Amino acid sequence: MKRPLIVFSVLFAAALSGFAALGGSEESVINDQVRFQASRRIVPEHGYRIHEISRGDGTLIKEYVSLDGKVFGVSWKGPTLPDLSQLLGSSFVEFKNSVHPRAGRRKTAVVRNSDLVVESTGHMRAFQGRAYLNSLLPPGITQEVVR
Amino acid sequence: MRRGVAAATVALMVVSLAACGDGNSSSSSETTSAPPPVNNVQPVIVDAGPLVNGQSLGDEDILFTTVTICIPGTVTCQSIDHIAVDTGSSGLRIVASQLALALPNSMNSSGQPIGNCVQYADNSYQWGPIAKADIKMAGEVASAIPIQVVGAENFPAPPADCTAGGTPAQTVSDLGANGILGVGLFRQDCGPACASTASPPAIYFSCASSGCSIASVSVTEQLQNPVWMFPQDNNGVLIVLPQIAAGGALSVQGSMLFGIGTQSDNTLGSAQAQAADGFGNFTTTFNGTKYSNSFIDSGSNALFFLDSATTGFPDCSAGSQAVGFYCPDSTANFTAINSGPNPSASTTQVSVNVAFSIANAVSLFNNSVNTAFNNVGGANPGAFDWGLPFFFGRNVFIGIEGQSSAAGKGPYWAY
Repeated sequence: MKRPLIVFSVLFAAALSGFAALGGSEESVINDQVRFQASRRIVPEHGYRIHEISRGDGTLIKEYVSLDGKVFGVSWKGPTLPDLSQLLGSSFVEFKNSVHPRAGRRKTAVVRNSDLVVESTGHMRAFQGRAYLNSLLPPGITQEVVR
Repeated sequence: MRRGVAAATVALMVVSLAACGDGNSSSSSETTSAPPPVNNVQPVIVDAGPLVNGQSLGDEDILFTTVTICIPGTVTCQSIDHIAVDTGSSGLRIVASQLALALPNSMNSSGQPIGNCVQYADNSYQWGPIAKADIKMAGEVASAIPIQVVGAENFPAPPADCTAGGTPAQTVSDLGANGILGVGLFRQDCGPACASTASPPAIYFSCASSGCSIASVSVTEQLQNPVWMFPQDNNGVLIVLPQIAAGGALSVQGSMLFGIGTQSDNTLGSAQAQAADGFGNFTTTFNGTKYSNSFIDSGSNALFFLDSATTGFPDCSAGSQAVGFYCPDSTANFTAINSGPNPSASTTQVSVNVAFSIANAVSLFNNSVNTAFNNVGGANPGAFDWGLPFFFGRNVFIGIEGQSSAAGKGPYWAY
């Protein structure tokens, strides 16, 4: 069973700083919370933690953090697309350079590089996607947990 | 032959009176002021697309139509061809370079022009002001409705909240079309979420000369699906495209009919209706697994579903002209099941088998002058995006949210 441990407020979080999400430190999740004007809770799992960030419009962003404090995966689902330049952090440029321009015009973007994997799909009012870094997956944790 | 709404209403009244045992079925009278029936058949085509520098863009599987746009309340009009017909969005968006009319910009309550942003799953975006126009298709008119002018000059640059570091999809070449006609399940592009004053999403902006910032915009000032703005035939759309050969077709002509069961040419017939969820999605079951984020989208240029690891299909090689599509060794045939609640009896599930084929996209595209294919596929991890190939050989009805027909209330699909 999953229980929320801590609920942060946006105002409290705004006082803290760090760097952006995927591949970043656990503290960077707070930047995303501020950026997305959202509430947040932390769900502990076996071998990692999930920070769940809920936007007022119903979009749910999850950030998967290893026990040593690295964001190894992110996922999103909801009526609006989160700012991927924020959420993908230092991997964003690689994502942008790897998207195929022709296939799936606008409705899907799939990147499967050796380390970075991004799957972004959906249409107006319904987006979902996930991204992870193979090199940061904690021991014994597979990419399937990022969903 | 087409029958008017008034006549249909009278017939219903007769039935209900008889059912009540009144027996006096001849006493009904015409009390509705429904407008007279108009031509509801709008031609559509899959072809090589708009000309850019004298050359057709040549993208495959894009469905186009010609839309007439007028300055509101005037006969100053322009017809723009090769507007992409998109059941995956709502609202009309015209590339500014193709627009010759000086349409009035929409202003918000503070007297500032309204900016509109569309963000797509591939991190591309469209930005431009909201303007008002009369929209004419077949004999139907949507009067003075908000549309987006994509990439308009003399308008503030897209704010960072809109671009989100992404790639602009603002030109005819970017879009493969002169504009996008969103005739999807929803009345507006955004709806109540953008009318909320509590942290609205980055879709509507208030644009001062110093720049644009996220703002809430009332539902009526948002981009409207033109169909539900028509005075009649406004409860949905029927798209009819013929089946095509496995090797594709040079071009395909079909029809987009407005209204569902409002005239003799748009009755549901044997089509089975399935309600979509609040996101416009439904469940596709494939090889025993349910994918609940699936959707039908004429604006997707293939059947995009799952991924190479799940389907066993290799992706086409990175250097090929079909990169991003599937390249199976030989054509594969499948059946999936689409299911959703009956829109008029939500406790009943309606399931429909959908047979489809996926061919090698490199072989299909190689040396082919064809622009329409019913068997091109690609990856869409975790869900089915039933793109334009789904529409060939089917009558596909789109029931707009909150609008009623014999099938029930939208949002629903029927085919």
